[in-house]
Amino acid sequence: MSSNIKNKIKSGKKPIISVRGINRKFPGNDKNNDIFAVKNVSVDIFQGEVVVVIGPSGAGKSTFLRCLNGLEIFDSGEIIIDGIPLNHHHKNLLEIRKEVGMVFQSFNLFPHMTVRKNVSLAVRRVRKLSVSECENIMTDLLQKVDIEDKVDSFPSQLSGGQQQRVAIARALAMNPRVMLFDEATSALDPEMISEVLNVMKNLAQEGMTMVVVTHEMGFAREVASRILFMDNGEIVEDREAESFFNNPVEDRTKAFLSKIL
Amino acid sequence: MISVRKAVIFDSLKYFFFIGVLVFLLVLSSLHMNYNWQWYRVPGYIISYSPDGDVSAGRLIRGLGVTIKISVLSLVFAFSIGMITALLRLSSSIAARVVARAYLELIRNTPLLIQLFIIYFVIAPVFNISPFNSAVLALSLFEGAYASEIIRGGINSIAKGQWESAYSLGLSTIDTYFFIILPQTIKQILPPLTNQAVSLIKDSALVSTIAIYDLTMAGQAIVSQTFLTFEIWFTVAFMYLVMTVSISAFVHYLEKRNNYVQ
Repeated sequence: MSSNIKNKIKSGKKPIISVRGINRKFPGNDKNNDIFAVKNVSVDIFQGEVVVVIGPSGAGKSTFLRCLNGLEIFDSGEIIIDGIPLNHHHKNLLEIRKEVGMVFQSFNLFPHMTVRKNVSLAVRRVRKLSVSECENIMTDLLQKVDIEDKVDSFPSQLSGGQQQRVAIARALAMNPRVMLFDEATSALDPEMISEVLNVMKNLAQEGMTMVVVTHEMGFAREVASRILFMDNGEIVEDREAESFFNNPVEDRTKAFLSKIL
Repeated sequence: MISVRKAVIFDSLKYFFFIGVLVFLLVLSSLHMNYNWQWYRVPGYIISYSPDGDVSAGRLIRGLGVTIKISVLSLVFAFSIGMITALLRLSSSIAARVVARAYLELIRNTPLLIQLFIIYFVIAPVFNISPFNSAVLALSLFEGAYASEIIRGGINSIAKGQWESAYSLGLSTIDTYFFIILPQTIKQILPPLTNQAVSLIKDSALVSTIAIYDLTMAGQAIVSQTFLTFEIWFTVAFMYLVMTVSISAFVHYLEKRNNYVQ
């Protein structure tokens, strides 16, 4: 753990995401041989950090990310988001999901709703804002993701990049404190990746706390404040971005970086 | 343009030729049987004129009215029962799943006629249910079981990502069903559900066995009085056909109108 992160913990600043020893296992071939998708993962993430999770496929990056908003259940350990423990209490879960936005690899827009309805549904139903408040939020957001001329289009009428930007706007409309990105650019054509990455960069610059699973090393280098390197369900290395790429410590990290850089 | 018109004319000719052959065979066979066609007597059973000149619905039309009433009520109830059963089967409660499953297996694995008899002869006297309500109850329970499997299949066909994105936005399970899953499901299941509605209308003919004066019963009564066997049964069949075809056409129209771009 780098000195900066240690300092933050020492300074008594409360992490916005606190993960303590979570495990996610699936039954293996025999009883004593469970397969761990996530193994003893502990991490503190502070306000304003952009944490990029990298690692080979099957390392448990997505599973870890999906644990953070309760889409995936974990078998043991503890997750506390913004002071709320993530547990079997449904109320806590809904509370946490209000504060944690998520963007998916396959966009997952609602195909039967226009962009306007996609973005406004949760704001109206969960945040319980009025139509006019909703319109104000939407105008700002759609401008931010540069898609304001498509409010009345259906998802199928948009390109992949446009759809993903709508998905980002939809998550942002809830005014979350944390944004999770699960390989948000992996399903996009090359020429559309940058338009989505740019939106994510702007978001990071505005100080949004972000946890990003991605294969875009350029983005990781440029935007991340911190890198988590995962392999076989474990966090192998957890360091600030610059020193991670320039002076990796663990052998597994070095091997991985040498393959992709 | 001209070739299209030619094709249409040619197709129509083929169609009329086919129908013509059918009618010819029918007439031929009736000649063999020495059947005395009396179509002119049929309109009297569709519209009846009382001696003092008042016009009222004939017996067939009144039977048709009963059939429509039973079918529409049963459709509404069958859909509701189907929806509830599907949601119970998909719920996380074991008790709910067992109850739904038991109902489903019981209904799907016994004949509708027997169910109708059990409800009419056993259950109805105990709870003092009228014959009409017994008929609606039996049909709703029967078709509801099939509808529930259609609805369940439709819900399962919705991509997992739709649930996940709805949940990740903090929507409750009820809101997710109501705003995200069911609207997409309905679109998916409209064609098989229409089939089920058509089945229901046809199955409703069975209620004539429990002393309900529906279209089939009316036909039966008229035939036994007048021996207009062919004419009346053809007319009755045609009336069922009109009902089922108009349902299909209506749903087709709905589908077209609700066709959000995919």
